[in-house]
Amino acid sequence: MTILVAYAPAPEGREALKAGIAEALLRKTDLLIVNVSRGHHELEPEELKEVEARLAENGLALTVESSVLADPGDAVVQIAQDRGATMIVVGLRHRSMVGKLILGSTVQRILLEATCPVLSVRTDGL
Amino acid sequence: MLDSAMAALASLADPSLLLMLLIGTVAGLVMGLIPGLGGTGAVAILLPITFGMEPAQALALLIGALAVVHTSDTVSAVLLGAPGSASASVTMLDGYSMAKKGQAARAMTLAFLSSMAGGIIGAVGLTLAIPLARPLVLSFASPELFMLTVLGVALAAVLSRGNIIKGVSAGLLGLVLGMVGTSPTTAEERFTFGSLFLGDGLSLVAVALGVFGLAEIASRASQRKGQHSNITLGGGWLRGIREWASHWTQVIRGALIGIWAGVLPGVGATAGTWLAYGQAVATAKDKRQFGKGDPRGIVGPESANNSVEAGDLIPTLLFGIPGGVPSAMLLGMLLTYGIQPGPSIITDHLDLMYLIVWSFAIASVLGALFCFLSVKPLARLTKVPFAALAAGLVAIMLLGSFQEGGQLGDLWVMIILGAFGWLLKTTGFPRAPFLIGFVLAIPLERYYFLTDSLYDGLGWMARPGVLVFLAILVLPILWALVKWIRARRRTNLDDGHRDERPEDDESELKNSTWSLAAAGVFVVAFAAALIASTGFSPEARLVPQLVGAAGLIFSGILLGIEVRTALKARAARRTSPGWTPDAGFALKTFLWMTGFLALTAGFGYLIAVLVFIPAFLLVVARARTKVAVAYTLVLYVALLALPSLLPIDLPQGWLQTII
Repeated sequence: MTILVAYAPAPEGREALKAGIAEALLRKTDLLIVNVSRGHHELEPEELKEVEARLAENGLALTVESSVLADPGDAVVQIAQDRGATMIVVGLRHRSMVGKLILGSTVQRILLEATCPVLSVRTDGL
Repeated sequence: MLDSAMAALASLADPSLLLMLLIGTVAGLVMGLIPGLGGTGAVAILLPITFGMEPAQALALLIGALAVVHTSDTVSAVLLGAPGSASASVTMLDGYSMAKKGQAARAMTLAFLSSMAGGIIGAVGLTLAIPLARPLVLSFASPELFMLTVLGVALAAVLSRGNIIKGVSAGLLGLVLGMVGTSPTTAEERFTFGSLFLGDGLSLVAVALGVFGLAEIASRASQRKGQHSNITLGGGWLRGIREWASHWTQVIRGALIGIWAGVLPGVGATAGTWLAYGQAVATAKDKRQFGKGDPRGIVGPESANNSVEAGDLIPTLLFGIPGGVPSAMLLGMLLTYGIQPGPSIITDHLDLMYLIVWSFAIASVLGALFCFLSVKPLARLTKVPFAALAAGLVAIMLLGSFQEGGQLGDLWVMIILGAFGWLLKTTGFPRAPFLIGFVLAIPLERYYFLTDSLYDGLGWMARPGVLVFLAILVLPILWALVKWIRARRRTNLDDGHRDERPEDDESELKNSTWSLAAAGVFVVAFAAALIASTGFSPEARLVPQLVGAAGLIFSGILLGIEVRTALKARAARRTSPGWTPDAGFALKTFLWMTGFLALTAGFGYLIAVLVFIPAFLLVVARARTKVAVAYTLVLYVALLALPSLLPIDLPQGWLQTII
């Protein structure tokens, strides 16, 4: 029983992490963070400690997981399946039609391929 | 068309052709096992043997080897977790995990069968490409052919992994190097500095074996210990066959991806297999087992890496632009036989085309069969430390590059280029555009002058074919630019499907003093080419100056970037890796090679072998004395017998000329 957050060092990722923590506290489940950005941009250790402390107060655990798969979408879905995640939390940002057509969208792929519910959080609102 | 296909098949019944195909297959399998050699090494080492042969036999030998190098490279990836080639590292993900569970045989069955199927599908793709491309190719005139050669170099530079500016610089330097020798238009000597030896141009085998072969040896010779693992073959042969048959869609998909990756210049087996792995994961519903021993993670990539080599041959044979490094060498070989790939191969040498197709398909089947029969000895061979192999490889590579011109100068060129290739490899320059540029330099210039003399002004630019190629030339550059901008703005977090590994694990000296020095070498080389070319006649000067100027611009940008990162690193007080142990080892290895060559020049090749091999084995590889003596004797006897079996000359030293 765990909630998986797809984290990236961008507003979308932070928003997803916030929602994921809230959701974990609400449901009393552990939290699992998967870093999805290119290269080695991961959550800062201090930030990670802070989240860990907040969860520990409520007796919940935090794990950070990575995958051998190169594509972040596939990695998130794989880890969610592997750990039996109850929910995946992703951050979402506006993408133009052309942008999605040419480049595709990682979030879209997670939404379509995940085998558990996906919570998507918008950063840019209305 | 069917007639020529059947005639080609019938010609393969000729025992001498069949024998060559068999030898090629076995040689390819053995070379697939040696880390770092791959298709490039296999073709480069076998090419010198073919110099005295008929084109059909030479092709059977080379294609036989090329078709199966990616069949056997799986063995070490699965059993040792150490891939025999970069493209087999994909198979390692799931294959090695399977082997650790005691199912190595299952992984091997999947891999061998998929490799076979990939090879056959690749051969079918090549066959289908002939009638499809025929009308197109026959409509090409010199302007289109000129554009194609430009496209070949440019696409290789843009699509190769890593930095585009580095790729373009490497491609342009390859072009400059290819122009050394006699100019195709005015028959005057360029960049030869008055040397008769350089007048013939640099030898293709020497360049390829230097930049790829020796560079690879230098970066790996520090591996003294063989890989040891206690993984046994285990069972699961039948299970492997069943699973392979049930994943037949993955096999076909992998093969098609491989063909496509092969057709694109500069996208080789490594990128192709990652693409195949990525799509296998993306299309799988249950992704849990990937990386832990999923058969789908073996089947697709293994099928792709064999079909890549067939895909590479499509643009090589039909358009005369090599799709990869091994096919660039094949192109060079065909040119030495006077067979011009492109329109003329379709009209005049269709039988050779079909011979290639059949050889590829038959070798794929034979390769898989041999692998099944000899898994156990093959597995033992993978445990030999690379340093011990390196001694023999250096001797064989130097002998190979001597065959083309029979001049010791070629060997010196090869060692210098080996050091240069090592620099390129460790600092993250793609080497494929360099070699493709080298091969295409003369055709590019020849087609340009043909075009220029047949058309007035820039009228040829308006030909529809030329316009299409211009568009193809511009699109990937725009695409790369868009991706670069998005990466800079960090808006690419949500972009598309990523199939490539992000890390560049091969180039550990990127962004260091070394890459700064490499950029400096490029600038100096282009500047020198520009200055040297001012002395040529206007016609011989034009293309070198264009290439030199473009190269100077690109390498200048590169130098600027390198200086900026160096300054940044200094400001942040980060120490960049200076003289690393690996660099020291590479230098030492090159010194050993130089010593060997000096011995050869002095006392002849055979005596040099008798001194170099045991010394290298005892000092560098730290082998046991008994092993070193046996190794040397076997190699010596083999080399002694070689000239009587094959049309091969051993380099004579200064001593022999006196006697």
